[in-house]
Amino acid sequence: MDLIIDIIKILFIFTVIMGVFTPLIPWVERKQGALIQDRIGANRADIFGFTIIGLFHCIADSLRLFVKEDFIPQGANKIMHTIAPFIAVVPALIAFAVIPFGGEYIINGKEINLVIADLDVGILYIFAFASLATYGAVIAGWSSNNNWSLIGALRVSAQMISYEVAMGLTIIGVFMVYGSLKLTEIGAAQESFFRWGIFLQPLGFFMFLAAAIAENKRIPFDVGEGESEIVAGYFLEYSSMKFAMFYMAEYIEIITISGIVTTLFFGGWNIPFVPAATLISFFSFLGDTWANVITMLIHIGVFFTKVIFFIWLQMTIRWTLPRFRYDQIMKLGWKILLPLSLLNIFVTGIVILLFKK
Amino acid sequence: MAIDIIKVKRNVNMTFWERIYIPEILRGISITSRHFFINLVGFIPAILFGKKRKIFTVYYPEEKLKYPDAYRGRPILVIGDDGVEKCVACGLCERMCPAFCISIQPAETELDKERYPETFTIDQSRCIVCGFCEEVCPKEAILMSQDIEIADYDRSKMLYQKEDLLIPEKDLRTRQAYVREAFARWNY
Repeated sequence: MDLIIDIIKILFIFTVIMGVFTPLIPWVERKQGALIQDRIGANRADIFGFTIIGLFHCIADSLRLFVKEDFIPQGANKIMHTIAPFIAVVPALIAFAVIPFGGEYIINGKEINLVIADLDVGILYIFAFASLATYGAVIAGWSSNNNWSLIGALRVSAQMISYEVAMGLTIIGVFMVYGSLKLTEIGAAQESFFRWGIFLQPLGFFMFLAAAIAENKRIPFDVGEGESEIVAGYFLEYSSMKFAMFYMAEYIEIITISGIVTTLFFGGWNIPFVPAATLISFFSFLGDTWANVITMLIHIGVFFTKVIFFIWLQMTIRWTLPRFRYDQIMKLGWKILLPLSLLNIFVTGIVILLFKK
Repeated sequence: MAIDIIKVKRNVNMTFWERIYIPEILRGISITSRHFFINLVGFIPAILFGKKRKIFTVYYPEEKLKYPDAYRGRPILVIGDDGVEKCVACGLCERMCPAFCISIQPAETELDKERYPETFTIDQSRCIVCGFCEEVCPKEAILMSQDIEIADYDRSKMLYQKEDLLIPEKDLRTRQAYVREAFARWNY
């Protein structure tokens, strides 16, 4: 029974991320960029004359990428060149295993915890795999046997390692406040609106978002890709589905970052001012089981609404800010984010010491 | 002699408010998201009621802009009111053409104009649409049209013969009026 529930949860998350979010994000990115810049955006792909505001471009893109030639450049390390995209995608996808997309519910006398793997070291697991993603970019850039790729890989490795430090330290404040590394416990601790991470750790939120976007190598931190300087950076020599996998990794990581930010700072699955108990008692006329089921569905919906909001926010940032220079990125990482995160830990510690009895 | 050097003072010294990034980033985000929401809501009346949308991009093959009369498309030959082309095969346009894309084979005719072009070929793959032929023509027989869709897969198909070029005069009144106005000062 436990196994079946686990498989259902895995399938659910996998379908939502790989089947709904990841194919839609390129469309969202194009269309949102178009709207922000007063354009119309992609709308040419049609089936029998129906375009559905450009949604068929998702299908057209993936078909195109599947049938294109898979090219390995001369002098490239074939094995490394082939496995690099996989190393990039898997860590991004696997991180969602510990992000809770709902609380705990009692259905048919069985306790269901809406997280695939409720690890005690949840967030450390995410960091461990996020640092593996660096290898994907570095191996891709090195094995391509191309100058621009190598420069991109060097930039990316330096940037990602720098920002991992800042990212790890910003989150320590959150752990100190909630007293747990377990993401489910952090989520459950934010049941009341004013206990949300954004109110307890406002500085931590901004710094974590900045560090996470830098970790994902997206604009304004995309010097590793930098198409105006180094063509396409570390995945310059990739084509076909391998090329798509790097983009897939980027898009999955957007969702993962949104999930982490939602869980740590924006109350996870909790609705502001409406605790789960109120919701269950409101639906109690349907019977205990159905009240729990409906509450569960509402919480899942709330969680993914918040995730969508953060995806929207990251897209807006992507279309708002220009690219930082490389030295500016390094300066921001080491001279601003790192001292500020240490200060954040210090202040949080003092406040906890003074006010917590 | 000392050279006067103008020192440009660029205001790169940011204030503290600008240097803490976040307020300025939020300002930028507010601008972009304002555009986003205005256009997002603007789409709904455009789709439902066919209202004029705020975005002024033209869906090209379905929607076309009306070009001004001064616009130079591919050159065409004018058919006069009597149903015959106005061209007298004087060869001025052929002579004037900087791209050598016009070739004319003149012949005699019983009509008043005495000469007419037996063949009149414009190689559209070479034409640079400069409008010199139109300017030099003494009979207003060759005019620049509004037609720009001349792309083709084969160069041989881009040799426009006389039959492809002929257009009745009544469709070209506005361009004719523009040409008369524009070149009036050289009216010999």
